[in-house]
Amino acid sequence: MIGARRDGFLLAALGAWVLTPIAVLIVRAFAQSWRFPQILPDATDAWPALSAAGTGRVTSALIASLALALATGLFGTVIGFLIARSAVRVGRRFQQLTLAAAFFTVIAPPIALGVGLQVAVLGIGLGGTFTGVFLAHLVPVTGYLTLFAVGVFASFDLSLEDEARTLGASPWQVLSRIVVPLLGRRLGEGLILGGLVSWGQLAITLLVGGGVVRTLPVELLSMVQSGNDQAGAFAALMLSLPPMFAIGLLTVGARRTGASL
Amino acid sequence: MLGLLAFAIACRSSGPPASPPAGTLAAGSWDRVLSQARGTTVVWRMWRGDPAINAYVDGWVAPRMRDQYGVSVEAVEGQGPELVNILATEREAMAGRPGTTSLVWINGETFAQLRSENLLDGPWADGLPNASLIDSDSSIVSRDFEQDPAGYEAPWGMVQFALIYDSARTPDAPTSISALAAWIQRHPGRFTHDQQFTGMTFLKSVMYGLAGGVQAFQGGFDEQRYRQGRERLFSWLTSIRPFLWRNGRTYPPDVAAMHRLFANGEIDFTMSNNQNEVVTKIRQKVFPPDARALLLEEGTIANAHYVGIPINAPNAAGAMVLANFLLSPEAQLEKQRGDVWGDSTVLDVASLPTPWPSRFEAVARDAAALPRELLASRARPEVHPLYHARLLQDWRQTMRRGTP
Amino acid sequence: MSRRDLPGLLAAVVVASPVLIGAVYSTLAAVGLVGVGAQGFTLERVIDTLTSSETWSGVAWTFATAGAATAVAVAAAFVLAVRVRDRRFGQVMAMLPMAVPHVAAALAALLMFGQSGLLSRLTYALGLTTAPADFQPLVYDRAGVSLVLTFVWKELPYLTLTAMAVLLVDSRELEEVARTLGATARQTFWRVTWPQLWRGTAPAVIAAFAFLVGQYEMPALLAPSNPTALSILIYERAVDPNLLRRGEAHVLGLLALSISGLLVVAHQWWRARAEPGP
Repeated sequence: MIGARRDGFLLAALGAWVLTPIAVLIVRAFAQSWRFPQILPDATDAWPALSAAGTGRVTSALIASLALALATGLFGTVIGFLIARSAVRVGRRFQQLTLAAAFFTVIAPPIALGVGLQVAVLGIGLGGTFTGVFLAHLVPVTGYLTLFAVGVFASFDLSLEDEARTLGASPWQVLSRIVVPLLGRRLGEGLILGGLVSWGQLAITLLVGGGVVRTLPVELLSMVQSGNDQAGAFAALMLSLPPMFAIGLLTVGARRTGASL
Repeated sequence: MLGLLAFAIACRSSGPPASPPAGTLAAGSWDRVLSQARGTTVVWRMWRGDPAINAYVDGWVAPRMRDQYGVSVEAVEGQGPELVNILATEREAMAGRPGTTSLVWINGETFAQLRSENLLDGPWADGLPNASLIDSDSSIVSRDFEQDPAGYEAPWGMVQFALIYDSARTPDAPTSISALAAWIQRHPGRFTHDQQFTGMTFLKSVMYGLAGGVQAFQGGFDEQRYRQGRERLFSWLTSIRPFLWRNGRTYPPDVAAMHRLFANGEIDFTMSNNQNEVVTKIRQKVFPPDARALLLEEGTIANAHYVGIPINAPNAAGAMVLANFLLSPEAQLEKQRGDVWGDSTVLDVASLPTPWPSRFEAVARDAAALPRELLASRARPEVHPLYHARLLQDWRQTMRRGTP
Repeated sequence: MSRRDLPGLLAAVVVASPVLIGAVYSTLAAVGLVGVGAQGFTLERVIDTLTSSETWSGVAWTFATAGAATAVAVAAAFVLAVRVRDRRFGQVMAMLPMAVPHVAAALAALLMFGQSGLLSRLTYALGLTTAPADFQPLVYDRAGVSLVLTFVWKELPYLTLTAMAVLLVDSRELEEVARTLGATARQTFWRVTWPQLWRGTAPAVIAAFAFLVGQYEMPALLAPSNPTALSILIYERAVDPNLLRRGEAHVLGLLALSISGLLVVAHQWWRARAEPGP
């Protein structure tokens, strides 16, 4: 009982901690001016922010961002799980090397990773193209998903695959009857996680896409930096809503399969 | 993965056949430039931080370029000091193939850097049909931080540094450097400057004022004169530092942060490199309605900004047509409107054919805007870019680091 | 190693190669062989950067703030994972900040913790302060209070999710076994849950810390000018008006990369010792 009440308090505190900043952004996005010492804004009007956002450009950027998130999520999941499977099977030393490599794509400071990607993508003649940005995003996305998949395989019995194979199953049957059903949920989570990693990329998109490939973060960067906080907060909400939707999807999925995450 | 790589290499863009370099085009006829440009796209790399400028470029310039010249204009992020990195890396990694950018928005230091790294194409600018309309007698337009543009960049507009204050909150705003220092000492914690370009322009203006005017620094960089100016400036700063916002121990990261502090009444002054920013910011309700621009008696720095064509530009012809259109009286007039951008023209208005001179005269003046005569009398030109570079480095080393 | 493993291994190499290319390019740029302002081999940039007090005070400040934030976030993540892993509301809340971009989180912090922010307005309304300047500086402050809080806000979901996943996968059965064997709740936690948690989340903790060290957007909006955060120093050098100094951005980037690299190596060494392999 006491534990439950304490948990209730904890949940309330968590809710307040998470929701307050989001609420502040929402208020700012609809407030024309909100100056000290006003606790709530006196004039609200979302139109200036909407018009500053230039609806046409934002829509095309939104489509580009969604396409990139989907594509990199999909490819990143397949490649990340492939890498993790090989790493887990091949043995300890190689597993460590693979993990370290994946780690570096995740933690490398933007200047090192960004310049590396820029040189690589420009070198193969894909600078300023959608394909180039896709390939560039794929690197950190795959890094994240490899780490994720290694964790998944830690509790997944890979020998099932070998057994099925010795029993005469074709590679396609192994994939469709064993791997996908067993990993299905995790693959879905990977897709969303990978999509989120791509969704937030800014520096890499600018360096590789050269500003020509315009994603939502690129399009809205100027608004956040223009000193116009209303436009900035509005832009921030635009960027946050699709991932919030994805997170909702993830929890609904969890409810349906009965697994709690 | 291999398939993916193969796919990537297969669709590697061989690029459209690049148009001839701007230098070659400029030597030929303008009609040829026009016909080469028709049906192409110009990627224009610029600062995208002001919704008013973006609206002018995307909503006014772009549709006219498409209708009148069949050129689509695509304005993208990429400003000042970052441009040099972008273009240099493109050149290193792309082995002579055309890059992405056909036009860049630049001035002063960036122009110097792009020239020294041989990243600009030219000369082409003097061959534009509208080049004859430029106010070439103006020392601000014809010299970019004392450098001769030499046809490697075409002027686009002109701005002047101004302090911004709230005339309702601060009716006794100081108007000279010494009065400003006295005001700061009487009002502790109410003044500061940012750490980037705008803040350094303010410090440079003060340095001119304290060390005998801009004349003392003209004619190239001189170590001796720089040191003298710096000593005066830093001792002035030391005398006011304890009275700055947060006791001068920290500074706002950029001018946007300073605008936010000003709007919330944390400080009484903000500043801008464009004397008309106050007008647009009032209209966006970022600043209170009584915000005004202010020029110190000792003068404030005015400079022109330009457009250039990178050496690896894929579409020099389209870029030249765009640069020429930007210099047309209609584009310059629209740009100067207070409710559009408020960026001053670089044209010699008096010698334009009728009805242009009267139209420029009639551009509606906003209550918050400064009169043109005052602006002109207090305008001081930029000096060699090295002064800015050294001042920034020394300010960071001594004033920012050496705080008690 | 069978032939079936080859595509995965090859993919690992291809994916990691841009980091390698970046490291090589940065190294060449650091010694003046490539990049803007390169004028032939020199160690001057490296020596200047590594002997500057600005560098080390920036590194120290960055590590202190990133370290403090990681420590707080890890502690909070463990508490949440243990106490609310079964509550759907808790799960959704724990994940939500993932959706908010870093710039936006920093903007919200500015609007809340600034001297004229929401908190200051509340203390003003309550008569506790009479002007913005009376309010304790929590942004652009040397202690980095708002920056650390924003770091925690953004990193908590990642760490909580990892901790929840670890507990769900590994410990539930073990915990039950321990309890049926008569262990108290406290014993179960320290002997069973805690080791699992710690071992399972260590890579995520290191990744979170290293990520914060390299983060640019949040310090750009919230950090003080002195000491200057490492990522801000890198940006300032990368766009320095003196082209000769731009190589220093690469020296600083490599410094950050090698410190993070050392952490990864240390972790793997520690792990290899903790669980001797077959």
